[in-house]
Amino acid sequence: HLERKIEDEFQSFRVAHKPHRSDCRDVVLDLSNMTNQTIKLGSGLRQDSDAISAMRAGKFSYSKPNKYWVESSHKRYIPRTEDHVLGIVVDYKADNFWVDIKDSAFARSCIRRSDTKKHSQVGTLLYLRVVKTNIGMNPELSGTDASGKASVFGPLKDGFMFETSTGLSRMLLSSPTCPVLEALGKKLSFEIATGLNGRVWVNAAAPRSVIIVANAIMNSETLSATQQRIMVEKLLAKISD
Amino acid sequence: MEYVNPEGLRLDGRRFNEMRQIVAEVGVVSKADGSAVFEMGNTKVIAAVYGPREIQNKSQQKNGHALVLCEYSMAHFSTGDRRRQKNDRRSTELSLVIRQTMEACILTELLPHSQIDIFLQVLQADGGTRSACINAATLALADAGIPMRDLAVSCSAGYLNSTPLLDLNYVEDSAGGADVTVGILPKLDKVTLLQMDAKLPMETFETVFALASEGCKAIAERVREVLQENTKQLEYRRAA
Repeated sequence: HLERKIEDEFQSFRVAHKPHRSDCRDVVLDLSNMTNQTIKLGSGLRQDSDAISAMRAGKFSYSKPNKYWVESSHKRYIPRTEDHVLGIVVDYKADNFWVDIKDSAFARSCIRRSDTKKHSQVGTLLYLRVVKTNIGMNPELSGTDASGKASVFGPLKDGFMFETSTGLSRMLLSSPTCPVLEALGKKLSFEIATGLNGRVWVNAAAPRSVIIVANAIMNSETLSATQQRIMVEKLLAKISD
Repeated sequence: MEYVNPEGLRLDGRRFNEMRQIVAEVGVVSKADGSAVFEMGNTKVIAAVYGPREIQNKSQQKNGHALVLCEYSMAHFSTGDRRRQKNDRRSTELSLVIRQTMEACILTELLPHSQIDIFLQVLQADGGTRSACINAATLALADAGIPMRDLAVSCSAGYLNSTPLLDLNYVEDSAGGADVTVGILPKLDKVTLLQMDAKLPMETFETVFALASEGCKAIAERVREVLQENTKQLEYRRAA
């Protein structure tokens, strides 16, 4: 589903003629041998007349056949349709809820089409899906999947929610399972909901497990795969005595 | 007073075209969306960026563009004598100047209905604070992921004892000679800030301006390195 998300906001760019190669820019990818092909630009890249430049610091990524984007990790979230996010209810009026999803432009103001009124308490944590995003308006969220059933969405009870960067959320959702979750899953049983907006919710039978999982995830921000496994082992060793 | 001795060494041992040591770090204020510390010699500045977030004051909203707000302030302990009052004229002027420089560099049309707050705090002032602030703000904005045209960098240069000097410190700055501050977008080769105190003949000005621009390009290299180091730490975090 991540593939589909990127597809939506890609703009097409046609390599019309040999791009003017000015010496004052770092050329990361020379497109002059790709004349007359259409390439798609994702987040972090912009078209400046006949040159494409990066808008953000990040990793320049490519996916076949013709998609390019710059991947970066920040604290602010930019809503995209079909993202799964964790929101906190801040207000409710009539049959719309106002939910905070750490959005850049509209803090605390994302409408959720309410299907049931019983989640009307301010402060409830909800697992939601972004339905519509328009550049000048509050994004719209929904507590059901595309077919109208509640499935995994809705309020999250008990457990513990903490905030992370968007890059870390993406890592937690990547497949194959990221090393931290894999290592933790071997020894502990827990439930986890990750929002692409930089929020993660963890629940387990014992509070000790919840704390271990939360700490392990927060520590894994800048660690490589092997380092993550070592870190998780160290943490687990502490509770096994 | 002799600011450049006959061998060509300045008061702190630098040559005319040598900058002070630069130390830069990103991500120092954990609560802010983006932050950076930038040191040029003894001048040390912290920048914290909050945003893009919802506009607090709807009356200041600009049609279709993000609102960029900037606040420059000096800590009371930043200079030798503790005398700074809040909102004095110099701080207001520098806030405005830095805001205009950063606004030219941020792609505000991509973030309508939002506000970007840049807070700059000078911890130690030893000349060149406005340049250090612009450099720190650029790093902080990049850390926050705010889309920008280029990395705005800034450097100052002066003219003392008939020599153009790069990156003046406080003593050289208060010597009464000219102080030219230049802010450029290095890859686009555009000037976004140009300020000067005192007077200079045109030819001399061009030499001093060229020297400051060279200094800016060197700072741009350093800023790029810091950002690349930071990005490398994200390397093994990939979307599937």
